[in-house]
Amino acid sequence: MATDWQPGFEPLPDFERLFDEHQSMVFSLALRMTGDRGLAEEIAQDVFLALDENMGKIESAQHACFWLRRVAISRSTDALRRRRARGFGQWVEIDENHGSQAEESSSPLGSRIEALLATLPEAQRAAIVLRYQEDMTPEEIAATLGAPLATVKSHLQRGLKLLRAKAESKLKEYIRAV
Amino acid sequence: MPFEQPFEHIDEFERELRETLKRQPAPVSLKYRVMEYRRQNRGQIQSIRPAQRQRNRMIWLERIAASLVLAGVAGSALVGRYAIERRRGEEAKQQVFTALRITNHAFQVMNEQLQQQDKDSH
Repeated sequence: MATDWQPGFEPLPDFERLFDEHQSMVFSLALRMTGDRGLAEEIAQDVFLALDENMGKIESAQHACFWLRRVAISRSTDALRRRRARGFGQWVEIDENHGSQAEESSSPLGSRIEALLATLPEAQRAAIVLRYQEDMTPEEIAATLGAPLATVKSHLQRGLKLLRAKAESKLKEYIRAV
Repeated sequence: MPFEQPFEHIDEFERELRETLKRQPAPVSLKYRVMEYRRQNRGQIQSIRPAQRQRNRMIWLERIAASLVLAGVAGSALVGRYAIERRRGEEAKQQVFTALRITNHAFQVMNEQLQQQDKDSH
């Protein structure tokens, strides 16, 4: 599914086709990074408007996909930083937002896992989301995030370990309650 | 129930994670909003462009004019300095000539006196 961008693959489709093709990807990346549907929608909008401004620099469909992933992650990180700087309690916000998100998620268990994902450090969360949402390899994630491969592998390993530990303690309680 | 057991098998956990993190459809309003902003921005950009081009041209003209003024000031300063040094050189030359004339006159006087003495002794 995911391919690292290499110049000269497919010709570049027009903006609207790119939007239709990638809107769920950009929105989902922002949603998993921020844990807030409203903020994710704003970020997705910003990302596509930025794409429109930068269409002249986009060389192919693959490049557009690579660019969108990269910008979606960086804008989400920026939005989280801005929100922290404004003094919002991040964990409270995420917890509240995931309450409303549970209705739309495929299973209650899935929404619990998403809530746990939102408690991971940003870098680990980004790596895990790109790995499991976008099916990207560590090499592709490193290229997208502009990070060394070893760092990405470490984020994936640590993030997964942390998520597993949290899931073991939190979800067992959840399952008992169900 | 798969989650009654601890997540010993990472593959199982990863499978569940992959299932959970499937892409979600974007809200329908997103496309409308993006297209609307895009349309409005296009209109604004097109109306802004001629004025922006005019402003850019004025900025460049101002920069060129400022460069010319600076070059003129620097050039006249250099010419003035050259003229002052040349005048000082002329003055020094005149002083040397005056000194040489005085010395020459003194030698002539001495020479005349010596000749007069020679005549007197003969």
